[in-house]
Amino acid sequence: MAGLLAQATNPIIRWEYFIDEWDQIQRALIEHLELTVYAVILGFVLSVGLSAVALRYRWSAGPINGFTAFLYTIPSVALFAILVPYFGLSRITAVVPLAAYTLLILVTNFVAGFNSVSPEVREAAAGMGMTPARRVLHVELPLAMPYIIAGLRIAVVSTVGLVTVAAIIGQGGLGRLILDGLRRTFWTPMTIGSLLSILLALALDGIILVAGRWATPWAQRQKSVL
Amino acid sequence: MTVLAQAPVPRDVGVFEWLFDPQSWTGSDGILASLADTVVLCAIVMVVATVTMVPLASWLAHTRRGEVSVSWLVTLSRAIPTFAVAGLLVPISLRNGWGFEPWPIFIALLLLALPPIFLNTYTAIKQVDPGVVDAARAMGYSETNVLFRVELALATSVILDGVRVAAVTVVATEPIRAFLGGDGLGRYVRDGLGQNNDGLVVAGAILVAGLAGLTALSFRSIESVALPDGVRRLATTSTR
Amino acid sequence: MSSNGHHSKGATEMAIRLDGVDKVFPGTERPAVSALSLEIPRGATVALIGPSGCGKTTTLRMINGLIAPTAGRIEVDGTDIATQPTVQLRRGIGYVIQEVGLFPHRTIAQNIGTVPKMLGWERDRIAERIDELVDLVGLDRDMLRRYPDELSGGQQQRVGVARALAADPPVLLMDEPFGAVDPIVRTRLQDELLELQARVGKTIVLVTHDIDEALKIADRIALLNVGGILEQYSSADELLAAPASGFVEAFVGDDRSVKRLQLKTVADLPFHQGPVLAATDGAVAARKVMQEYATDWIGVTSDDIFLGWVHADDILTDAPLASAPRAMPAAQVRRDSTLRSAMQIIMTSHTSVAVIDDGGQFGGVVTLELIRAGLEAVTD
Ligand SMILES: Nc1ncnc2c1ncn2[C@@H]1O[C@H](COP(=O)(O)OP(=O)(O)O)[C@@H](O)[C@H]1O
Ligand SMILES: [Mg+2]
Repeated sequence: MAGLLAQATNPIIRWEYFIDEWDQIQRALIEHLELTVYAVILGFVLSVGLSAVALRYRWSAGPINGFTAFLYTIPSVALFAILVPYFGLSRITAVVPLAAYTLLILVTNFVAGFNSVSPEVREAAAGMGMTPARRVLHVELPLAMPYIIAGLRIAVVSTVGLVTVAAIIGQGGLGRLILDGLRRTFWTPMTIGSLLSILLALALDGIILVAGRWATPWAQRQKSVL
Repeated sequence: MTVLAQAPVPRDVGVFEWLFDPQSWTGSDGILASLADTVVLCAIVMVVATVTMVPLASWLAHTRRGEVSVSWLVTLSRAIPTFAVAGLLVPISLRNGWGFEPWPIFIALLLLALPPIFLNTYTAIKQVDPGVVDAARAMGYSETNVLFRVELALATSVILDGVRVAAVTVVATEPIRAFLGGDGLGRYVRDGLGQNNDGLVVAGAILVAGLAGLTALSFRSIESVALPDGVRRLATTSTR
Repeated sequence: MSSNGHHSKGATEMAIRLDGVDKVFPGTERPAVSALSLEIPRGATVALIGPSGCGKTTTLRMINGLIAPTAGRIEVDGTDIATQPTVQLRRGIGYVIQEVGLFPHRTIAQNIGTVPKMLGWERDRIAERIDELVDLVGLDRDMLRRYPDELSGGQQQRVGVARALAADPPVLLMDEPFGAVDPIVRTRLQDELLELQARVGKTIVLVTHDIDEALKIADRIALLNVGGILEQYSSADELLAAPASGFVEAFVGDDRSVKRLQLKTVADLPFHQGPVLAATDGAVAARKVMQEYATDWIGVTSDDIFLGWVHADDILTDAPLASAPRAMPAAQVRRDSTLRSAMQIIMTSHTSVAVIDDGGQFGGVVTLELIRAGLEAVTD
């Protein structure tokens, strides 16, 4: 009971911590960012491949969706844990599941994006003598862009949230501050870790949003018309 | 993990050896007790989420009050950082004398469960053919009857789909509770990691994943048994 | 006179040749196009017409190499398209697809400049060409920076036409290019296309399901039946005057003769002097002509300019016709007036004859009799 009392009086944020432990906070933040970026890049690359297959061979779209949806429903704790015997408490063990979780949203959006290109536009592009590569690059990709960006935003934001869970296998950037605080019943790192991870998600979301607006001027204008 | 209780498990146990040992399942630290712990928490979260969101979303959609930005909610629901939210709530809960458990994880899971149920209910009711609704009104249905006998009846399968998505997500996320000062089915992964016991880690992962899979499966079978044929065939408009 | 009248000309005069072309889509039994043979001369405007689903779009897509025929041979500019890289073939063909298909992510200027940019033209040249085309199709230059969905349906279709014309392709395929616009705008776009064609002189294949549009725009009309069966390929006039089958007759409608009146102009009639003499002629000649025509009026011209009508009672025996008092003509038509309007003018002015104004000069006369005779003759 004495312990609980101590916990109760322990302030939620102790500001000196920022100065004393700034190095640690900074390291956690960078690690968090790195894990997020690696996972999203890996997920993105895999999704490009899976989407290409799903679009090229229509019969495969169902199974690919089923597979990515299956991955998505595996509990994060289980997916991180299951790789521990193979890769230990390493970065790979963290990045692979994080990337796996991005597949559902990325593949769904990539496929929806390319499917959103109307047959008339495809026909017109082919009809005027565009090579297949040019059609994909100059017509289909730009038109799929709003979907790709929307998928990327969700993937990045949810990955930032999930990275904290990777703290259970000794990775996890800001998540480590959370676990550390919990272990020491010291709330400051816990609060900082939680808040910073939420802020990081919002910041990255904002960056992609702005970059997306810049990349798809026509889509922004359409939205404002509606 | 000094403040956390540890299960009395031998080191370097074989995955299946441990899983199939009846002793692992019984007792106050046994799998069954942990399972009950998890199931009860998840069930409460789901009940609270359903009884609040279905009426709220139905009412909003029925009265066409407040245009809800569906795509924004979908994004939001995918982006809630449960671990961070729970982490923020633990100190607050303790300071208020509510203890480590289960309030922080309960609220964090609830935040996860609300959006899919709300979204599916809202969109399902909004998508009910206005012609059908007008026909019902023309036949003298009261507004309550329109909502219950027509809109909700037609939306049942989509709503149930939202509940399924919420339940699977909640069950899949609940194991982080073991890392936030609680127990539940995630405890074996935690203990395995703490003891450097890979066998226990994998066994714990299998249990956690198994429960999530079982949840998804049971909802599927509920949907195929409980729903009238005509309603089930409408279940093509799920938001996921 | 026959639908095969162009066979005699050399093969190189044909911009497009279809020879026994079949198209059966996989998974379907009924052919979309069957044994279609067509020859389209360079510089001609040919309308492909027929009921919905008769294979018009399919035919255009085969000419453009978007789909391959199941059997038969298609030549564009004398080369079998099967032996040619499709990308190259398509760049020589401007294709206005049925649904317009503007690129929603590109401005109007970028849409129009697509093919020139692809061909590696320089920026200035592209910009110049875009301005030229915008004027040509009658769009405002301040639309260039807009996106397609900020334009009306009719404006979008003009952009589609401009885009197809951008690299100055010798062949233009247009699939119901005016389908999405209201009748008033459609009429204007048709007039503009006629004007445009008079200036640019392309080989145009125009798909339509509107017989009036085909009659108005095309030199020759290919009428297809369901299954892509060619019912008749002939001039508009022949299609109306001598329908090759009951299907053609039903398709062009019961008001065929009204349509032909609209189709033909006064210029299609043979020249007819009528009871008209020069001002220097005298009473003797006048009496003879009046007798011949059984009228008591005579027209007077001077230096090929029509001066007016003189009544028999006013003709003095010993003076030239020039001295008699004249009445101005009540009915006057131009050479490019349709027979229908000529007929209306004659009938509403209560005379039996109208004077033809040929750019200020006397161009003969037209009567209801002459119009009827003209309709009976088929000109191919
Ligand atoms: N890709 C396709 N696959 C199967 N059938 C097609 C395809 N495209 C067109 N058809 C069929 O071919 C016939 C002719 O179509 P189309 O050329 O589009 O007609 P239209 O004369 O109206 O332009 C129709 O019966 C249509 O259903
Ligand atoms: Mg068509």
